[in-house]
Amino acid sequence: MVAIALEIPPDVTFVILTTITLLAAILALQAKELIYGAVALAISFIGIAGFFVFLDAPYLAMLQIAVYVGAVVVLILFTIMLVRREEVEPVERPEEGESAVGLWVAGLLAVSIAGVAALAGPNLPSSMQPADLPVSELGPVLAGQYPVPLIILALLLSGALLGALVLAKVER
Amino acid sequence: MPTLVSFIIVSAALLGIGIYGLSVKRNAIRILFAVELIVNAANLNFVAFSRYMNPPQVTGQVIVFYSIAAAAMEAAVGLALILVAFRLHSTIDVRKLDKLKG
Repeated sequence: MVAIALEIPPDVTFVILTTITLLAAILALQAKELIYGAVALAISFIGIAGFFVFLDAPYLAMLQIAVYVGAVVVLILFTIMLVRREEVEPVERPEEGESAVGLWVAGLLAVSIAGVAALAGPNLPSSMQPADLPVSELGPVLAGQYPVPLIILALLLSGALLGALVLAKVER
Repeated sequence: MPTLVSFIIVSAALLGIGIYGLSVKRNAIRILFAVELIVNAANLNFVAFSRYMNPPQVTGQVIVFYSIAAAAMEAAVGLALILVAFRLHSTIDVRKLDKLKG
């Protein structure tokens, strides 16, 4: 368990992380300025990284912060600055009915998943087994058990980045 | 100690927020935000499930490792597409980008 969790009870940590993550996610979608939305998205990602630390996956938390907060959000910020123009930025005001339907669909989906999980609750494991999953255990599984996906991922990554470069290039 | 169900509920809430943004928002960048939130909800589930296994597994973490790399690619390509759309149509309102609509 994490160092913080030694002083604060785990339930309190969980509630705090949940509040941060979900509020920041809502703010990311509802903030008037797109830039503030991107910052809120970064906070939400940090909340998810907190969950990863909570679940004894510190390496993933590090990766989450490096890739999502460090790369994806910064990329998004750059794009917002390239695209932003007062007259171009569309007014974020969906039609009345559209917003309500979206809320209903999303709410129904979330509630049904949560309901099924709650019904299955007695059959799901309810407590974490004490375990130390050191980072060194991740390497053998990654490179020993799944070497082919790793190679495909590398090729895909370079292909996607080259593709993004070609797409975004300005013809002269 | 939080149970596995509480993690599933947080993940479902995050998914719901993402689906709402996906279906209601008009700004293409905002829709990309929603997609990232949905991917994160899935990642959280993977890590939580593999941690609550008996004995705990690292397989879920490995899958999330791949998923994070894939999400980074998706963001790069998506943002490049948004830039191209903006250059061609000088708007990123997805309701106005309907040239392919029959």
